[in-house]
Amino acid sequence: MVRTKRQQPGAVVTAVRSSSRKRARDEIDKVEESTPSKRRSNRPATNTGANSSRSEYDFPSDNEEQPEPKGEETPRKRGRPSATKTIQANEEISTPRGRKNRGINVVTPSRTGGAVNGETPRRQRNDRSARKKSARALIEKVITGVSSDEEVDGDIAREIYESSEDDEVDDGTIDGHHGDGDTNEIGDEPATPSRKSRGLTKAMKRTRTRKKSLTPPRDLPPHELYFAQNRPGAAKTSNNTLASLKLLTHEEYFSLLRDYEDPHRDDIEFLDSIHVQSFPQWVFELSHGFSVCLYGYGSKRGLLYKFAKYVYSMISDHGNHRIVIVNGYVRASMSSLRDILSVIARAIDSKHKLAAGGPSIMMENLKSLLSSHDITITVVLNSIDAAPLRRPGFQPILAQLAAHPQIQFICSADTPDFTLLWDSSLRSSFSFVFHDCTTFSPFTTELEVVDDVHELLGRKARRVGGKEGVTYVLRSLTENARNLYRLIVGEVLVAMDNEADLSSENPGVEYRMIYNKAVEEFICSSEMAFRTLLKE
Amino acid sequence: MGKLYLIKMDSPLRSEEDYEDKQHHVSSPASSLLRASAYAAYIFDPLGHTDDTARPAKRRRVCEKPDTSEASDNEMLSSFQRLLGGAESKSAANLRQQAFEKLWSVIDSRIHGILRETNQSTLRDVLLFLQNAPDYTPAGKIPSAFIVTGPNIVSADLLFEQLSETLQHEADAYTVRLRSGDASNLRAILRKVIQGIVSTGSVAEDELISTTSKDGRKFLNYDVEGLYSHLKLTPQRSLVVIAFQDSEAFDSGLLSDLISLLSSWLGRIPFAFLFGIATSVELFEARLLKSTCQSLYGDQFDVEQTASIIDKIFKTAVAHSQTKILLGPGFLSSLLERQREQVASIPDFISSIKYAYMCHFYANPLSFLVPDGLNSGALQPDYIELLQCLPSFQRAVETAVKNNTIGRARILLEDKKGFIEYLADCLGQRGQWTTKLLRVLIILTTSKTITAGFSDLYMDISYNGFGISNQYDQFLDSVKRMEPCDSEEYLSGLLDMVRHGDKSLGLNPWVDDAPASFALLSEILAGIKQLRIDASEKGHVLRSQYSGQGKILRTTIVAQKVQLSQNTATLTDHDKSYTDLIHRLLEYLEATVRIDGARDMPFNEVWLYDSKSPYKDVFIPRPRNVLERALSRPHDYLGCPCCKTSIDQITSSLPATAILYQLYLETSSLVNAADLWSAYYAIVGEDDEEGLGEQTALLLFYRAMAELKAMGFVKQSRKKADHVAKLAWKGL
Repeated sequence: MVRTKRQQPGAVVTAVRSSSRKRARDEIDKVEESTPSKRRSNRPATNTGANSSRSEYDFPSDNEEQPEPKGEETPRKRGRPSATKTIQANEEISTPRGRKNRGINVVTPSRTGGAVNGETPRRQRNDRSARKKSARALIEKVITGVSSDEEVDGDIAREIYESSEDDEVDDGTIDGHHGDGDTNEIGDEPATPSRKSRGLTKAMKRTRTRKKSLTPPRDLPPHELYFAQNRPGAAKTSNNTLASLKLLTHEEYFSLLRDYEDPHRDDIEFLDSIHVQSFPQWVFELSHGFSVCLYGYGSKRGLLYKFAKYVYSMISDHGNHRIVIVNGYVRASMSSLRDILSVIARAIDSKHKLAAGGPSIMMENLKSLLSSHDITITVVLNSIDAAPLRRPGFQPILAQLAAHPQIQFICSADTPDFTLLWDSSLRSSFSFVFHDCTTFSPFTTELEVVDDVHELLGRKARRVGGKEGVTYVLRSLTENARNLYRLIVGEVLVAMDNEADLSSENPGVEYRMIYNKAVEEFICSSEMAFRTLLKE
Repeated sequence: MGKLYLIKMDSPLRSEEDYEDKQHHVSSPASSLLRASAYAAYIFDPLGHTDDTARPAKRRRVCEKPDTSEASDNEMLSSFQRLLGGAESKSAANLRQQAFEKLWSVIDSRIHGILRETNQSTLRDVLLFLQNAPDYTPAGKIPSAFIVTGPNIVSADLLFEQLSETLQHEADAYTVRLRSGDASNLRAILRKVIQGIVSTGSVAEDELISTTSKDGRKFLNYDVEGLYSHLKLTPQRSLVVIAFQDSEAFDSGLLSDLISLLSSWLGRIPFAFLFGIATSVELFEARLLKSTCQSLYGDQFDVEQTASIIDKIFKTAVAHSQTKILLGPGFLSSLLERQREQVASIPDFISSIKYAYMCHFYANPLSFLVPDGLNSGALQPDYIELLQCLPSFQRAVETAVKNNTIGRARILLEDKKGFIEYLADCLGQRGQWTTKLLRVLIILTTSKTITAGFSDLYMDISYNGFGISNQYDQFLDSVKRMEPCDSEEYLSGLLDMVRHGDKSLGLNPWVDDAPASFALLSEILAGIKQLRIDASEKGHVLRSQYSGQGKILRTTIVAQKVQLSQNTATLTDHDKSYTDLIHRLLEYLEATVRIDGARDMPFNEVWLYDSKSPYKDVFIPRPRNVLERALSRPHDYLGCPCCKTSIDQITSSLPATAILYQLYLETSSLVNAADLWSAYYAIVGEDDEEGLGEQTALLLFYRAMAELKAMGFVKQSRKKADHVAKLAWKGL
């Protein structure tokens, strides 16, 4: 009876491998809770039924090595029905495990240290069968005595058996190495099996065996690797959470960022300088109706900014060649495309207001505006594949823009799969020329790192308001109120600039002056209206 | 300030605030708000000259106006960099650019001519159909033209553009072009149709939706009644054409709804449809409701398929006698293969060729010699040295030495003047060579026996020459075996070419150049004709010694055994004289159909472009591989000593994202962020003295995670706390 009980958790091990470190750390009780539940999930009907199949594929790898297990199996089957235990006590489980470990010790004499000891020789299924067979062959050979023609087979069998054993030892050492890392990570808790009973070693063993099964042979071709990593049931991860880790706040993040010095700074600058050398080539390509698209790892915003400066320095007459920089990553809502088009329109003729309406109408309007002016616009678009520009309808408009002969279009793309944005007709109207511009420079403005990571981890710690909040508020204001707000902010900034030298604390802005300016800009007509606007 | 700015810009690690700060410093405070990087778009103006008020801009525009043209000239010309490590003179660089612009503009106009022509017949047919449609369309049916464009949507785009232009001008019709992406529901489609028609019709924008119904209500912008009343107000046009460019991509229910709705308006508004169809009309019809199909009355129009257009463009742009650059087979074959295997469009094809030209002139310092041999004789001494180092020239000298004309070799190497003469001579010969090449090609392709296409032949022969290859023997052999009728057809075709030239290749007739060969060919042709007539009078079939039936297999049964014997059929006198004629033809062909390949010609580096790499990199990017490479082997890009490791090793000096990426590659489809962090920290942590503090490590970890997310490697997973889902596998 005791045996049967003992076998069961051992059998479940492979299925439950998932949980590792946390369990190892302190909560053995939790192990107990999770084991039966797992069992239940595998075999929903009964606890008992789980036995047969599992013992079949999980246990034998140890079994065949020693002759006794056959004896072991039978009592278990018999004893199973009576063993309908739900939750086992702590000591109960730890003892059988200990025994089991001992059993393994007997089986694999090649093992040396205690650390390696924890490694059960569990292989991937395929290996196991070959190994099983070879083990059986070896045993038979010993029992029946060797006949000469069998010798070759025997050798092969031994070879298989030994090679797999070697592997395990290797894995064991590698894993042991990993284990060191682990112990570092967690602190020093689980490093010592002596401290916390055998249950702990068991748990550690689980971690390791999991790692082993997840680390497939090194040089798998990509597709094999995919299947190896997506095996059903293979997606077992530890229960560790980042609870113990203090997550960064925005302030911490930015202050840390300010102090951080990248060791690769010089290399990145060097890389950048290489890209800078091809500026004339890009200009040439742009001038011949191609659009340029820069891809590769790293932020290309700085590079494009330099390029804009370069183009600017090349332009002899700024009246008929303007540069518009567009930041695709800005997370404004629907209006961003409208913003882009209206800024371009403003670049052509600062007094012109594009007709309101859908983007396609604005585009038509813009085209007619372009054709009536002798002007070239260079559009520099950062991150064409940023989330805001991925919405349907954006790319066709951009393609129309890029296809216009008076528009020179250069953009950057950050994701690896950005080409999926365009179908063949869009692609041909963009008429892209692609350049690998891996810069390795960090995405500082493009990403809201802290928010992104927290979102990724499922924590909601958005910045209060954030950019979206501000834009939302501004958008809900009337045009005039918005203009007034802009005016005030501008004035305050000027005042701050001026008074920074005078070291006064709260810069003030004169009410009269603001009013006059507001009237000048036709924001409001009377003082009454001015006051109401201010209230808003 | 500008300088300071640059330095700041260079430092890669500046926070957002800094950046905005910069903006703030550079431009006036009021406009800084508009220009900050946090804005979706702004006008780049580092010096703050042109403000939104536009006053300064205007002032400047006025004062700079006089030298605008000159300035723009300069701007255009200076985009070519000086090569040879900057030693190239500015004038030479300008020469290269001018040469490029001149040559390409010629080719470009030829290509455009071709493109315009190709769709002409389809255009004419469709136009005719629609113009006459009202007369013979049964009542209650909408005239519709089904244009089978084939799978290439891009070229269809051009066709529909031309169609709507012609229809507007010649058939006096309103046209609206719809693409499936434009509209997803009936209301949106109607809105687009109505807007399209109204905006083309009216001159001023104010009139747009000024139409109101009789009782003063305003029409909704998707109400067809609004369109109707608008059409009543404006001068009547005969047709309202709605073109569905990719009709298969439309939702079939939507299309049916639209058609039935519009057909109910047919009495008042003269609608007509154009359907661009990629598959076949039957398949398209099967997708529509029966009742909708019955309200259509249409005809099918075919469009010239892409392959034949490509062929034509190949002839005008690549193989044309006036092209000064020879595109090599390596480049061309990859280009054509891409065209064939991926459905790349015609504009892509053209721009690829253009890019090849651009590369040649941009990167090859000798390319200024291209247009007319010795470009104004402005050869710097550097160039002569350079030219003498060319492998093709050295080969020429070597052969001169081998042929025991050492004096000549010496002149070439030592006498500057002699060398220049030789150079001019060689470059001058290229024109003749091209002509000869094309003639050979025509001789080859006129015979139907060669299976390879024109472009394949061109690529092979232009580069490798023709004379010893397998194909050469094959060709002569096939001529030898020609039946009299085939050879007659071949000869007459050939003579026709000689007499008229080939326009698509820009090849002039060469009767005057080679009167002797012309006479010979026509003599042979006349002889064959005569012999055929004579032979048929006598009632037997003319054949040559080599023609297929020349050998007769005879079966005789002798003493119950079958004896097979092969006899050469006895040739009649006619046959013999025909064989003689074929012999003469062969002799002639053997003498003429020989040409050196471009790679054997001296100074071919000047005008031969055969490089696949920029083409492939630039038009068929592999962004994923690039990204994966950057992340798994940053050393390839950074070139720093610290990260130089063997493959797949993780060292703490790697950029954070690269380390995370490596770890990420080992995970299964669900990743525990906590474990990832601990593994990461174990690598970069404070173990040794160079390790990072926890906070800094966490900072980098954050950034790397955010980057992985932005690049689409991970996404949030709700399966477990602090877990992320893996989305990409390397190398797949």
